[in-house]
Amino acid sequence: MFKLRVTDIKQYMYCPRIVYFTYVCPVQKKVTRKMQYGQEAHLELDRLEKRRTFKRYNFKEGERKFHASLYSPRLGLEGKLDMHIVAGGEIFPVEFKHSSQGPSLNHKYQLIAYAMLLEDTYNKPVRYGFIYVDSEKAIPVEVTPNARVYVKETLEKIRLLVSKELMPNKAGEKGKCVDCEYRNFCADVR
Amino acid sequence: MYFLTDEERKQLLKGFLPRSRQMEIAEELRGWNWHQPPLAPVYDIRMALYEVANSYCKTNRDLYLRKIDRIKSKPNSAMIRGKVFHDILVRVLVRAKRLIYEKGVGNFQEILEQLNTPLDLSFLTEYQSQLKEDEFIELKKKAATVAAFENARVAARIQEILVKQPYIAEDSLAALAIPVVVEQKLDGTFFGLSANLSADAYTFSEPMVLDLKFGEQKKFHRLTTTGYALVMEAIYEFPINIGCLVYAEFKGDRLVVKKDIHIIDDELRQWFIEERDEKMRMIYEEIDPGLGQCYDYCPYILQCRG
Repeated sequence: MFKLRVTDIKQYMYCPRIVYFTYVCPVQKKVTRKMQYGQEAHLELDRLEKRRTFKRYNFKEGERKFHASLYSPRLGLEGKLDMHIVAGGEIFPVEFKHSSQGPSLNHKYQLIAYAMLLEDTYNKPVRYGFIYVDSEKAIPVEVTPNARVYVKETLEKIRLLVSKELMPNKAGEKGKCVDCEYRNFCADVR
Repeated sequence: MYFLTDEERKQLLKGFLPRSRQMEIAEELRGWNWHQPPLAPVYDIRMALYEVANSYCKTNRDLYLRKIDRIKSKPNSAMIRGKVFHDILVRVLVRAKRLIYEKGVGNFQEILEQLNTPLDLSFLTEYQSQLKEDEFIELKKKAATVAAFENARVAARIQEILVKQPYIAEDSLAALAIPVVVEQKLDGTFFGLSANLSADAYTFSEPMVLDLKFGEQKKFHRLTTTGYALVMEAIYEFPINIGCLVYAEFKGDRLVVKKDIHIIDDELRQWFIEERDEKMRMIYEEIDPGLGQCYDYCPYILQCRG
């Protein structure tokens, strides 16, 4: 099975052409200002999170684990999770995002994919995860059966795209192209 | 048929409702955002909601034949059965509401008496020529069972309300005893759907779309409730998070009713939109999807397999 990364799910949902430019027609991508900012903010959040209590997750106590490398041979999927919390015998993935709005759909499925990787690592079901938006609040996301199926189907779609070398349609929203690191290569962007 | 059992109500109140309220549905997948991607339709064509939601034919060639080759199919016996049972339910519920308004609360005995009289099933004769004799006899028998069951349920509901509410008036009795709008008409043009959609039932206490199915349970049936929920969100601009599929089947002479209550989550919404976009593209570009694995009672089996 062709091994994919959790980021691929996020990217595919944002715009399937990113996956095309990653695997089918690899190109040197441009590091945008938005990406740089994201990396810096991530480091800052890591530093702050280590000192915080679990109040915002509604736990009395727990253990934080940062940047765990996860891999599931069953799913053919790997990824490095920002953080996960082990509390009360349960596991909760946490993803840090930097956005002025709430978490988007691609972030949600990225988190679900991490939850599935944690399930395979710990051999336990994961009920919830959290998306941390701009260090303000941890938004709980339920890991539903439908969401798990959706992630598996997305993995299948990505593998099909890569194996058949299909050039997918670009994202429906034009706004997404503005900050895209592949903008220069995506010839039909207007 | 649409009334929930005590256990189902408990599941709804303690399970589905709190979960659906806690669950954040992506804003871009709420029906009121019909004017922007991904909900905005790409093509300027209209489809019926069942054409988007149904996937009995795996490749959707039935849709291609209907829309592109303009081949009209004869309904199979399962389709006729479904139509008749749906119709009976509408007739029973509308008759009950009418009786409440006509007779008034003061004459409730008369309402109950009339509900006890069997529903007039003479309208079934219009289907006689489309079915074999034994199929028609069977249909009549089952139709009477469905009508009797629903009449008894409605009568029980009216009694239940009356013993609890001594000062109730007609309008409130009708709304409490039969808290659904049947065949709710909806304009689906926001999503490239027909302007004359008709949802089987809609409850207004907690916004929930109900769809009645007579036949085997299929995963894609949830797309029907999802489609109606999206359309209603577009029209009324309030969230609809829950759908309920009512499956009725016969075990011998007995009617068995099961319900599939579900949250209309991000995944279902995306699935509906993907189906719509794929099918619209197929129609717009006139792409023959080819043969799939055919099912025996497909109305297009002759066109596909000869």
